[in-house]
Amino acid sequence: MMSSIASSGSAEDGSFDRDAFSSALSSVSSLMAEELETYAELDSVSSFYYTVSVSFNGGDVDPIGGSSDDDEDEDTDDTDEDAEEESDFTDIPDGMGDMRGSMGFEIGTMGTEGDFTVIGYSSDEAMTSFINGTSIIISSDTDEDSEYDESYYGTMFEEGTEELTCVISYELAVYNSLSVGDTITLANPNDEDETYTLTIVGIYINSQSTVTDSSVISGFSSSTDSSNQIYMSAAALEAILSESEENATVETDEDTGTETTTALPSQVSGTYVFASVDDYETFCEEVYEAGLSEDYTVSSSDLSSYESSLLPLENLSTMALYFLIVVIAIGAIVLIVLNIFNVRERKYEVGVLTAIGMKKSRVSIQFMCETLIITVTAVVIGGLIGAVSSVPITNSLLASQIESQSATSEQQTANFGREMGGSMGDVGDMPSDIDVDTDGERTGFMGAIDSFSSATTSYVSEVSSATNLTVLVQLLLIAVLLTLIASAASVIFIMRYDSLKILANRD
Amino acid sequence: MALLELDNIGYSYVKGKPVFEGISYSFDEGKMYAVMGKSGAGKTTLLSLLSGLAKPTEGKILYEGRDITEINQYEYRSKYVGVVFQSFNLLTKLTAAENIVLSMEIAGLHKKDEKERAYELLDDMGLDRDEADRRVLKLSGGQQQRVAIARALSYGPHLILADEPTGNLDGETQNEIMDIFRELADSGKCVIIVTHSQEVANRSDEIYRLVAPEKKTRRQKKIDAAKAAADAAAIAGEDVKPKNEGSANTGAKKSGSKKK
Repeated sequence: MMSSIASSGSAEDGSFDRDAFSSALSSVSSLMAEELETYAELDSVSSFYYTVSVSFNGGDVDPIGGSSDDDEDEDTDDTDEDAEEESDFTDIPDGMGDMRGSMGFEIGTMGTEGDFTVIGYSSDEAMTSFINGTSIIISSDTDEDSEYDESYYGTMFEEGTEELTCVISYELAVYNSLSVGDTITLANPNDEDETYTLTIVGIYINSQSTVTDSSVISGFSSSTDSSNQIYMSAAALEAILSESEENATVETDEDTGTETTTALPSQVSGTYVFASVDDYETFCEEVYEAGLSEDYTVSSSDLSSYESSLLPLENLSTMALYFLIVVIAIGAIVLIVLNIFNVRERKYEVGVLTAIGMKKSRVSIQFMCETLIITVTAVVIGGLIGAVSSVPITNSLLASQIESQSATSEQQTANFGREMGGSMGDVGDMPSDIDVDTDGERTGFMGAIDSFSSATTSYVSEVSSATNLTVLVQLLLIAVLLTLIASAASVIFIMRYDSLKILANRD
Repeated sequence: MALLELDNIGYSYVKGKPVFEGISYSFDEGKMYAVMGKSGAGKTTLLSLLSGLAKPTEGKILYEGRDITEINQYEYRSKYVGVVFQSFNLLTKLTAAENIVLSMEIAGLHKKDEKERAYELLDDMGLDRDEADRRVLKLSGGQQQRVAIARALSYGPHLILADEPTGNLDGETQNEIMDIFRELADSGKCVIIVTHSQEVANRSDEIYRLVAPEKKTRRQKKIDAAKAAADAAAIAGEDVKPKNEGSANTGAKKSGSKKK
């Protein structure tokens, strides 16, 4: 389980009064990596890692999908990038039109978005795409078919290293004719003269196509292409950042009072891992005690996506439960009535048995046993039929539930003109993030952007097994309980019978 | 000591309106008794008391000197007394032999040869194996009565009670059944037969007459007028039959006993 902390700043406000929004954003204090680590000390957190994302322009490398195919010099390249961002905006689907103003606002404040996203990982654990296998480093081990040239064989950078080493995507390597051991130069998009040189230690291939992993930087530039993502150690990237900040020049806009810095635009995403929902809930409370400002809200898209993926199943389960209760209630009534009829029908038998000296308790036990034998037989037959038919029936019911759920969700999407944010959440292997910009201005905004990237919720659509031993035992217990209740009714009758009267009435 | 002794017993379904009262009598082993009386004199009620199906509201019934209310009524019925009902009261879903085996099991006699013993008993009563394995309903009335007697004997009680055992049977069968009871009495059992048949009574060693010389009218609670009339009749001391809806238990006269 992972969780994110997002600021509840003016993004929820709805109106985009530029000045108010801007000052609101400025007032939100930023969460630094150190602060995130403080919260990671809480007992409820089972592990913590973070990533630092920094936007760069290509110094001597060209981004895939970028406009600068020709070898223009860096100054013109820069203007090209600006132009490209504008054109990218025209590609936004119509439905997003209502948010476009805010995007423009953000770009205005933030300055330029780079070609590349360099992501620094605090630990190997943070590199989820490598852990789950969607990305792999090309090496002699992974390239068994010799599909790739040996010059691409490399390794992942050392965990926590401060050396300026990185891994790049195979596509980028091919595009720029790079191989392991080569160096690349990246430039600050705000200041093309500020460059950093990284050594390529490995090249990765990503089996997933493009944008899905773009929760990190949601600008609409070539940096969103996952092929343009360069991975390195967070420690090394932080070193670059602090150097950049020292050299940065800060300008203050006289109209708005907003500061614009030429330092590298960066963003820290921390991920907290919890062992259980309980731990997560504990964390939600503790984190404020530990000093997190009330301006932030804690949420987990893993949890919410898990919950929303379970929604049809839960609906079905609730429905089934109600159905079960009704069936049991009706069944109990029918069983009791049948038992009473049975005993009344066999009144004479009861009379004879007690007249020849059978104890009423023994007669009652006999009646109970008869009912039990019938019930157990019925449970066995019913359980077998249920076990066989439950899976297809559950799945078809689930399918119709999902259909109606999807219809609702589509209707909502249609109503909104876009995917609904928040409740639906993302699904996938995306880690949930604490979205914090180091210069504190974008923090509030990320929440809004995140909901743009919402993928269609994938519901749990298959149930492999609905019956197990526990269910059967429960079934048996319920049946036995029902039998006992129903038998109790007949026992009351038996106990009240007077054999003398029964036999006398017959004579 | 008498096998069964009635010590001033009385019984009333409604308090203050006894069916009979003050009966004292003793029954010995090796004799056959006939209890006679008109309808409503309390014959069946008396038999219920003797068989432990009901408890006397007054007095005591002693079995071998023991108050039968001190004996568990089920144990008493299942072990000490064999009852032959007028309507046989066999379990119709079972065969003749099964009825007898069931009775033995209720009495707690779990013998390995209980089935064989059942066949023997039925054979003694004149039913062959084929008939013994038939469902009770497939048997004739006389055969059913034989099965009922066999059942009453199956656990070897010393006391045999029979309620109109020949009531549903024709003359010839009646004689055969009475022969069986006679044999039982001669073999040392105490046989008490409730009957209104003089023929049956004539074959008994002793006749106990339940008569109702003193009438008591049960109140018909809903109609005060009827009650007043009944009270008036009681004061007049007339020997009248009950005027109200009159079940068998409505009127009873103080019993008198007439010994042979």
